[in-house]
Amino acid sequence: MMVAEIKLPPVLEIIRGNIVKHGNPLAMKGTEVAAWAKELKLPERGDLLFYTGGEYQLLPFIDSLVSTMTLMDQGSKVFSLMMGARNIINKTGINAEKLYASVLAKDRERFNSISYKAAIILQKLGYDLCYAGKKELYSGALLSELGFSEDMKSYAVKVAEVLKQSGAKTIVCLSPHAAEVFKFVYPKLIKDFPFEIKTFVELVWDKRHMLPAIKSSETVVIHDSCRLARELAIDEELRDILQSMGVPFREARCNRKWTTCCGGPNKLLFPDISHTIAARRVEELEETGADLILTSCPYCLSALQGGQAKDKDKDNKIKIEDLIEFLYRGFEA
Amino acid sequence: MADLQKEFNSYTKDLNKASKDENIKKAITRAVKSYRETTAETLTRFPHTPAMAEEVREIKTKSIANNSELLKQAMESVERNKGKAFYAKDKQEALEMTAKIIGVGKTIVKGKSMLGEELAIREYLEEKGNEVWETDLGEFILQLNHEKPMHILSPSIHVPREQVAELFTKFFKKEVPPDIAQEVAVVREFLREKYFTADVGISGANVVAADTGAMVIIENEGNVRLSTGAPPVHIVLVGIEKIVPTFQDAMKVAEVTWRYAQYGVPGYVNIISGPSKTGDIEKVTTYGAHGPKEFYVIFVDNGRSDMAKEEEFSEALNCLRCGGCMYECPVFQVTAGHFGHVYMSGIGAVWTAFVAGGLEKAAPLVFTCLRCGRCVERCPMKINVPSMIQKLREQVVDG
Ligand code: SF4
Repeated sequence: MMVAEIKLPPVLEIIRGNIVKHGNPLAMKGTEVAAWAKELKLPERGDLLFYTGGEYQLLPFIDSLVSTMTLMDQGSKVFSLMMGARNIINKTGINAEKLYASVLAKDRERFNSISYKAAIILQKLGYDLCYAGKKELYSGALLSELGFSEDMKSYAVKVAEVLKQSGAKTIVCLSPHAAEVFKFVYPKLIKDFPFEIKTFVELVWDKRHMLPAIKSSETVVIHDSCRLARELAIDEELRDILQSMGVPFREARCNRKWTTCCGGPNKLLFPDISHTIAARRVEELEETGADLILTSCPYCLSALQGGQAKDKDKDNKIKIEDLIEFLYRGFEA
Repeated sequence: MADLQKEFNSYTKDLNKASKDENIKKAITRAVKSYRETTAETLTRFPHTPAMAEEVREIKTKSIANNSELLKQAMESVERNKGKAFYAKDKQEALEMTAKIIGVGKTIVKGKSMLGEELAIREYLEEKGNEVWETDLGEFILQLNHEKPMHILSPSIHVPREQVAELFTKFFKKEVPPDIAQEVAVVREFLREKYFTADVGISGANVVAADTGAMVIIENEGNVRLSTGAPPVHIVLVGIEKIVPTFQDAMKVAEVTWRYAQYGVPGYVNIISGPSKTGDIEKVTTYGAHGPKEFYVIFVDNGRSDMAKEEEFSEALNCLRCGGCMYECPVFQVTAGHFGHVYMSGIGAVWTAFVAGGLEKAAPLVFTCLRCGRCVERCPMKINVPSMIQKLREQVVDG
């Protein structure tokens, strides 16, 4: 193969630099990422480690980053000045304060509360959780997915260190991306990685007999996340969960292992295409006539919403929620 | 140093434009639907197919591992059949060999071939002063329109009949209405004359049997029959990865290919092993009875043996070019072949990296891929494209 030296688009460097230097893709502070857990006072050590990876919390900021990028031609001088120079990134990360300011408070709250709601649900199902709090580090899934395998090698060591401090046997991941990378990548990178990796969905499924019945007039359609359905082979579980709560649901034309990707994975580099793909997927899901799309992946949630926002003039928009939000409503009612 | 950002910018513009193109949207939506329906139906009708695909996967994997041996055997078989066999190590060699056989000032009729695209053979031969006609209807349309294929099997998938009519009216200098039957008819009439006056026919091959030297070419239109049968010379340009040990193996590969390539049952399967011959007068073998007197096969490497050596990528050589994965690809569904550089979509990114432009050309594609993995579900060869894409990203990142 012809190998040329290739200079990467700056946004990739930003993500890489932030993860490596700051422990998450957007250089947010650990205290910000862990703010949702303040009142829960979860212990740092225990058998079952609750792992957010900051992924839901960061979502609105990623969207803000993407919209900054969509507005600006990535090749323009301004963009390079703002995002480009690697040393600037290395010194400061991307300016999180600015992104912070541009995110609506209600979005911030909504996404922050998803981790909170997930923890409450698991507690109600009888799970004893521990949590690393502000020390928690992002899994590095993006490093691995984007090809920064060298960075990933050393980063994974740091992450594993934090995970081990919990003394946990099992890690429950909210994001299928984190679950995937812990399950399939970490064991290859870390000599001693003794954890059983579970997703939130699996833990709920195990105790589905304890779920409250949900009396809802809404018809649900499941958007299977690619990672969950194909890599982790979790699809029937979602249906079982709904069934045990007596929730009527429909199936999209492309479901389970044939699910259509939400477009999320190439959002950072190709936001327009990503949005179009998301919009098409929302259309597929809407075709079922359901009122509510449920997904179980932070990136799917954010991407599908982005795809929907695109055709603004539509009224009667289908609702999109994470399974966590839906279950929590059930517990509250 | 290649500045990927620049490549990205022009590529991104192109992608975005494609995603807003109503013709592409309409055509691909229709094509995806029809692909899924036909395939589901024919897989029910021929339920042995998945198991046979499994078998083909083994045949291909073994053949790739044993490629140099099979290549030798295939070349010997072709020679034994009184054809001439060549090995071209790269694009330049393949082009020069072809040009040497053909010469200048000739008329050439050509069948559809992805390898042809990879080599840009038409352009090269035209530059050398030849007249080259694409005979596949879709390719013919693109030739007139100076466009690149948008799908490996339905290259002009994005051009609606109205546009075709406009194009033909201009080219044939007579009114061609936007009526598909009439559009097909004018091309038929035009190319018929070309087949019988052409000096050379060029084709690819879907699979090659090493034991017999048989080239198997699947088609529906009948253009391959004519372009490989009517002219006095037939040249086959085929990738070395297409060789399998036996004729029986080749039949299995062919059946799986056409089933996943939405042919259902193909109109024609051409099997060509040598020049045309007769012994009808006094049992004296004479070449060039009705078909070509001369038969050449150029086996093209151009990066394939490098790919075969890399454990993480060799599986990509199993690709049958059925095109199934493209219909399932969410990016391809909104951009068609714009998500490609010669080779298209995820598997195309891998091929582009090795045989059609290198990592630099593949890089934008490599980062467009969602790694969603639906292609793997569809692929009869179960090629793990997402994992290869990840490996290619590593190579881009680490330089
Ligand atoms: S990668 Fe698989 S599905 Fe795609 S063209 Fe090749 S054989 Fe067909």
